[in-house]
Amino acid sequence: MSPRVLEAGTEEYLRKVREGIRQGRFPVRAFNDQEIYDLEQERLFSRAWCFLAHESEIPAPGDYVLRYIGNNSIIVARDEHGVVHANLNMCRHRGNQMCKAEMGNASHFRCSYHGWVYKNSGELVGVPYMKEGYEGRLDRKDWSLVRVRTDTYGGLIFGCLDPQAPSLADYLGDFTFYLDFYLKQSEDGVEVYGPPDHWIADTNWKICAENFAGDGYHTPVAHQWGFHLGYFPSSGATHSQGWAVSFPGKGHAIGLGHSPNFPPFGGFPDELIEQMKRVFTPAQVEVFSKVRTAVATLFPNLSFLMQPLSFVPGEPGVRFVTMRLYHPAGPGQMKMYSWCLVPKSAPEDYKAAAYKAYTLAFGQAGTFEQDDFENWIKVTQMAKSTMVRDLDFPYIMGMNSQRDPDFPGPGHVVRPYVNDTNFRNLWSRWADYLVGEV
Amino acid sequence: MGTRRVDRETVAEIQDFLYREALALDERRFRDWLDLLTDDMTYEVPVRVTREGLAEWELSPTARIFDDTKETLEIRIRRLESDFAWSEQPPSRTRHYVTNVVVDPTDKDDEYLVSSNVFIYRSRGDDPEPSLYSVARKDTVRRVNGEWKLARRWAAIDQSMINAHNLSVFL
Repeated sequence: MSPRVLEAGTEEYLRKVREGIRQGRFPVRAFNDQEIYDLEQERLFSRAWCFLAHESEIPAPGDYVLRYIGNNSIIVARDEHGVVHANLNMCRHRGNQMCKAEMGNASHFRCSYHGWVYKNSGELVGVPYMKEGYEGRLDRKDWSLVRVRTDTYGGLIFGCLDPQAPSLADYLGDFTFYLDFYLKQSEDGVEVYGPPDHWIADTNWKICAENFAGDGYHTPVAHQWGFHLGYFPSSGATHSQGWAVSFPGKGHAIGLGHSPNFPPFGGFPDELIEQMKRVFTPAQVEVFSKVRTAVATLFPNLSFLMQPLSFVPGEPGVRFVTMRLYHPAGPGQMKMYSWCLVPKSAPEDYKAAAYKAYTLAFGQAGTFEQDDFENWIKVTQMAKSTMVRDLDFPYIMGMNSQRDPDFPGPGHVVRPYVNDTNFRNLWSRWADYLVGEV
Repeated sequence: MGTRRVDRETVAEIQDFLYREALALDERRFRDWLDLLTDDMTYEVPVRVTREGLAEWELSPTARIFDDTKETLEIRIRRLESDFAWSEQPPSRTRHYVTNVVVDPTDKDDEYLVSSNVFIYRSRGDDPEPSLYSVARKDTVRRVNGEWKLARRWAAIDQSMINAHNLSVFL
């Protein structure tokens, strides 16, 4: 039994939670609790590398998007030299919100309160009544927008609010082997099909992050209609097959679902398969060719899914990729962002078909997404019940799974796909941040 | 457009068609609704993005919340008819309020461009908070063998950050 936060003291509580995860249990209340939410804001989202944007969202000089890290509104902009900058969306003079559009193109941002003007890189360049008012006492270079450290991998732009945090490369580690499945599907990489669907949902980001860290267990039930009517090319009898891959000490994880009768690279057009075979390493090709579903969470709150969906029952269907960000907006609320990524140099008809399959399954009206959110908002409501304040959930599936020694990819690889190993790893890393040991 | 007026009888018929179509949705007669669509029907709900006033677009030219054809709408309806459409168990209670219907001619004799405002109230279970969707629609309706059919639905939601956990209903 987890001790109560207030009785035990926060630090002791968190250490006991961390120990509990190793033993295969995790507290129900973590999925809807103000105190835990506040700790996540202070200790996790202000220290981890957090996703901001995909480079294809801001391809031209001046392009920008507004995103969040924790409760901070961030302008992510490409400057006139093509360099991407991220800055807090707050005027340094009196704190007004600088930019109110969520995407656009601008060389400069001008505050609508007193008129301070910044370059899109964040540099302060214009101050009204500079001579008359400030009489030479204000040095522009001291009052740039508050800068966010950024780095990129495979077109993904990340920001980190902690100047002491290790590099993004260190943060991602060998997880990039699997990220490439989503990000390097063609010789020119991938691009967003358009801006993301975004909506508010009364659920906790962790429920979504866990689900996408490889919850193959829910699929035959939560998405039973797809199996039942034959639009999703898996069957209940074989659905547990595949691998769960986690990265100890990093939190990242991927579930790789395998169907015995699903063709290698099924759901992709032939010319794209040829490109992928040139782009990927032989080990990546070997892993990828066996995968029907690849579902991953990049710690803490960015997820990816690649899966097929058929418009005709019983056929392999079309493979699509979605990327999703769970932006926490309270202990029981989040802003959901959902993108579709398409291979840049794929045939246009494949891109359109993949997008159609994506919208039928995911995004706010997606049939799989609808059923997920139905379950997730109910989990969130239940997690507030007074009766469960001291209860844990079982995370003991695959407690004794042995590492698969022959698997060609990196990470801690276990079988079967249906497994809690990835989730224990995810919540261990979460607890490391909350305890303050990262 | 605008030079040729649509006669009152046609406008009244098209309004009546839209009301009957909304009634089919609100009464959850989804097969009846499917019968009101032409075989080449497209159903689009663009993603809205908050932009500056002078921006080229606010409704994405590529991103869609729904990007459907009659074929994919039938998949959605087959799902709703199964025992496993969890997001619609219990079913949404919807009410489509269709107003401000404006009918314009197109260059085809039997096709009309129909703009309308739609306010959708959706209640589920014992949740006292309904989902409210304010929607601008630009439809194409076509007369096929003497019957009105919907050939295109284009529906844009006024919220950009949509305050509903899903869109398990039709707009």
